[in-house]
Amino acid sequence: MSPETVTITVNGSRRTATAGGHLSLLRWLREQAGVTDPKYGCGEGVCGACAVLVDGLPVASCIVLAAQVDGCEVTTAAGLRRPDGSPGPLQRAFHRSHAVQCGFCTPGMLVCATALLAEGRPLDRQEIREALHGNICRCTGYGPIVTAIEAAQHELAAGAEGGAEPS
Amino acid sequence: MTSQEVRRSKADELSVVRQPLPRRDQAAKIAGTTRYAGDVVHPGMLRAGLVRSPVPSARIVRRDAGEAVKVPGVVAVLFGEDVPHNEVWVDVPGQTIEVAPLKANMEILATDRVRFQGEPVALVIAETEEALTEASERVEVDYAEEPGVFDPELALADGAPPVHPQGNLLARWDIDAGDVGAAFESADLVVEGTYATQPVDHAYLEPEAGVGWLDDEGVLNLRVSTQVVQHYRDVARILGIPEARVRVIAPYVGGGFGGKEDMTVEPYLALAVWRTGREVRMEWSRPESLQARAKRHPMRMRYRTAARSDGTIIGQDIEITADSGAYAYLSALVLLYAAVHACGPYRTPNVRLRARCAYTNNPPTSAFRGFGGMQVVLGYESQIDEVARRLGLPPGEVRKRNSLVKGDVLPVGQVIETEVLLPQTIDAVLERAGPPPSGSGPRRAAGRAIASNLQSYGRLVWLNDAAAAWVGFEPDGSVRVRCGVQDLGGGQASSLAQIAGELLAVPADQIVVHFGDSALNPVAGTTTATRQLLMSGNAVHDATAALRDQVLGAVAADRGEPVESLRFSPGAVTGPGLRLPVPEALALCRRRNVPTEALGTFFGPKGVPVTRNLRSGRVFPDFTFGTHLCDVEVDLDTGQVRVLRYIAAHDVGRAINPLSVEGQISGAVVQGLGMALLEEVVLDEGINLTAGFFQYLVPTASDVPDIEVIVLESGEGMGPFGARGIGEPPIGPPLAAVANAIRDAVGTRPTILPITPERVLACLPSTRS
Amino acid sequence: MYTRAFRYERADDLPAACAALRRHGEGARVLAGGQSLLPMINVGLAAPEVLVDISRVAEAREITASDGYLSIGALVTHRELIASEVARAAQPLLGAAAAHIGSARIRNRGTLGGSLAHSDPAAELPVVMTALGASYELTDGRAEREVRAEEFAITVFTTELQPDELLVAARVPVLGPGWGWSFREVSRRRGDFALASAAALVRTAGGILVEARLALGGVADRAVRLAAVEAALTGATRDEIAARVGPIEGISPVTDTGASAEYRRHLARVLAVQALEEACARSEGTVSGERGP
Repeated sequence: MSPETVTITVNGSRRTATAGGHLSLLRWLREQAGVTDPKYGCGEGVCGACAVLVDGLPVASCIVLAAQVDGCEVTTAAGLRRPDGSPGPLQRAFHRSHAVQCGFCTPGMLVCATALLAEGRPLDRQEIREALHGNICRCTGYGPIVTAIEAAQHELAAGAEGGAEPS
Repeated sequence: MTSQEVRRSKADELSVVRQPLPRRDQAAKIAGTTRYAGDVVHPGMLRAGLVRSPVPSARIVRRDAGEAVKVPGVVAVLFGEDVPHNEVWVDVPGQTIEVAPLKANMEILATDRVRFQGEPVALVIAETEEALTEASERVEVDYAEEPGVFDPELALADGAPPVHPQGNLLARWDIDAGDVGAAFESADLVVEGTYATQPVDHAYLEPEAGVGWLDDEGVLNLRVSTQVVQHYRDVARILGIPEARVRVIAPYVGGGFGGKEDMTVEPYLALAVWRTGREVRMEWSRPESLQARAKRHPMRMRYRTAARSDGTIIGQDIEITADSGAYAYLSALVLLYAAVHACGPYRTPNVRLRARCAYTNNPPTSAFRGFGGMQVVLGYESQIDEVARRLGLPPGEVRKRNSLVKGDVLPVGQVIETEVLLPQTIDAVLERAGPPPSGSGPRRAAGRAIASNLQSYGRLVWLNDAAAAWVGFEPDGSVRVRCGVQDLGGGQASSLAQIAGELLAVPADQIVVHFGDSALNPVAGTTTATRQLLMSGNAVHDATAALRDQVLGAVAADRGEPVESLRFSPGAVTGPGLRLPVPEALALCRRRNVPTEALGTFFGPKGVPVTRNLRSGRVFPDFTFGTHLCDVEVDLDTGQVRVLRYIAAHDVGRAINPLSVEGQISGAVVQGLGMALLEEVVLDEGINLTAGFFQYLVPTASDVPDIEVIVLESGEGMGPFGARGIGEPPIGPPLAAVANAIRDAVGTRPTILPITPERVLACLPSTRS
Repeated sequence: MYTRAFRYERADDLPAACAALRRHGEGARVLAGGQSLLPMINVGLAAPEVLVDISRVAEAREITASDGYLSIGALVTHRELIASEVARAAQPLLGAAAAHIGSARIRNRGTLGGSLAHSDPAAELPVVMTALGASYELTDGRAEREVRAEEFAITVFTTELQPDELLVAARVPVLGPGWGWSFREVSRRRGDFALASAAALVRTAGGILVEARLALGGVADRAVRLAAVEAALTGATRDEIAARVGPIEGISPVTDTGASAEYRRHLARVLAVQALEEACARSEGTVSGERGP
């Protein structure tokens, strides 16, 4: 069986588009589904710029075929807003902490940080750093990103409403 | 207040600048809606890609696209002969008497010779990525390999294969100040050291990318990830069309660091659009970028430092050899920066410096944050650290003793015209650091060290740098700023809004900055050389001040009040007994034929072009000074180094946006730590072995600690409100801070970068378990 | 960019996958997690004509313990292996080693079978399987066979697998009480390929080392079991381990951009000693909360 088209629910919308069998999920999202917030950074799964959630788990979309996730739910950074479109604790923390400079790593960072926070384990700054080792940022020096995740963790633990849940 | 007075405003008079405002671009970047150059994907867009040489030195014997054009979906394959003017050439001032193009040129597509692995030979244009890949593989190029040279010192020796017909010496700079011979004869201590830095890659997360099209006027538009929209002029020259018929747009750039200062995709996109008349997209792969994009100059530095027993440095004898790679790009200027910065932030009365850069068949080297001023920090800060050690003096005290002060003259002849807070930065880091670290176990050794530096901001003065900006009111009182600045994520555009907002008392959400468009914005110049805050910041400042004066002047004349009594307050022009809402003030201007917009041009400081023997009253506008402190722990069994703590202090003059300033410092330090410990472009006879992120090791969050930032504000920078540039200065000290800290920990000094675990093991005493 | 088209076929089950491999011949590659293969395709180092995707088959996903063996399906992801209570109870060494593999994104997709079949000399799981004396169940869709871990890897990227064979499961003997374990690795950055690694299992009695197993990774063309070192350790106390581990024989480290052969040789000894000492401490119960099985 060789699917030429796949149907993937992207940020809550079912999308059906050609996958050619060989298209990576990253290319399928960017070229077929018009979802351009996951980025091409390296093509090898190392840099984190292409990270998306597949059924809630972070993957490197450049090294997953669209055909492999036919029928799955994919969430990108753009889909991490609250159902009403407002930014959740993580996005607001990124904003306050100045965790964004050029912004190219930001979508992948948000996706991976969301998954990390969803695990529910309380993490200190060093543990956050170690968990983020797979997300390269060349601009910020990482400190503000760690601060943002720490702040969001704190807010979520304090029981603030909702969170950066996939929509 | 006059412009000059406002420019040096005291901190407590400022209300919008110095605020840690979240930047305007952040919201879209967090929402994922920012459209970078490669995010524009339309059906029907063509794809363009390059066929590159797999070998570093060869004659091209045959080129044939016959099979390639048969691939379904291929539109065209271009060779060098298809390019109307197939070369770019480089200004190499100082190597002739005037500022004039030297015969340092490079082909857009190589025709008879390739000089580095990755040099472009053919441009393929196709309907799909897949057709592009297949056709690229079918372009036939036969190479006859020729002997190459891969070390700059070997390249400068007799009998070396010439990379270019005119020989392998690209540029040299000499400094002779005072009497070096006498200094060394009278010295109480002479320290000798040889240091080597490696080629490193910018590794911006966004690879080179862009889209090109012809608009309804037939103007060639390029929307590309670039630091320099002015390259539209180079593109026009290559195509042989009027400069006014090319437009370059720089959207938000996903990292530049100097790697997008030269043209990357521009000439190829332009050729593809010009040839096909269609919309074309080009995106370089990461391996392509790592292989072929210009790198930071590796440098070998030999230092001899003469000192008195009280730690005063009385002389430096320095030799620098840099690898320019296969093409000149900006190598001569990088070497110039190295030469001017080579003695560091210290008074050095007697100097002999010889700096040379040589062509090799390695990948070309060009601009990278620090631009030659970075590599020499390893040299001068290792040397002064060693001087302090051998004399048994505290390293901070020795640096303070030698620190430049306002009024001192650099070896090149430039007078330091602004306050130097170097001693205060030293005190700040030492005080913050507290007690020194200790090893966490029996097989661990801990160490601490500091490193200071100076780094210029603003371009070389004889380049007659200028930046322009337009500022105007909309009738409702909102403000539009048009300025060609390129925003790399350092808040370049946001800062302009803060500056305009300060002068007009307009809140951030009422100001829009249109930037990065060579056709629609006044030219602001490059986002390089830590110049944008100085240049476009001042341009916006001056344009806004002129606009403010126009409007206040019109109101003053209308009301018969002295203009000095009027000012802009939030929402209104106010004065004694007067509160005129801004829209009414603007309507008043229109009635009185007073424009509600202004164009301002800021001209950088001037100077005379240098000659090869460097002696100049002024080379750069000014410098930024700082000191870093680093604690490390060394694993004595494996040689691995962990950075325990890092503190960076800089005098930034005035922090326009403190969050941006801290971000620049933090990011630069981590790049510096990467070069100190991890990153290396590994070349084997010109073949790049690290063309992937598995091999080219960029620091991750797990590799570095929190960077503690201390910001000092002397108020004496040449930028708006007394700011200094801060983009580049923090990147250099980590090289020496880490090397000096390891020296402190294990007793031997690493002198070759990167400081790998193996190199650390080699520094350990031979008795180890 | 390298975006070469290839054909894609999703297999319904493992026998169908094997049949597809036979049908397509040399140009076919197996796609499970894809975390080794797809990067290679993306940078032009691999150019298969057909990918046979087994990532969605229902089989080979279980982790079970019975009759003194832990059985791990080939399609178990690294994340699942790390999270498995059954695996941790039976042999914590497995999850501890798997935690060093790449990043969370990689571990969410990468599979045990994929890692073993790819056979990178620096990979973590082949090293621990070798130390544990595991064996692998292979199938060609028609018949099964069992191969010991030590014999499965032949050289770099080359294993016993025939072109139409797939891994089904790994069978790991569950060691009894008194055994301690350790996994040590040196890499340039967290998650990078190991420059060298060591997996050790030690059984002590009354403070004396009775039995040891030691395997190293990253210092030869595949994981190596150091039987000579194991033999030399019998009867040692923990303090005597370092002295009894002499220069490591039977390894052939290489020089690459990560490290030189000499440095890897140096690490081989350092990590062997560290792993043995730590395993010994766990066996003695002196590493808190991590008593061996």
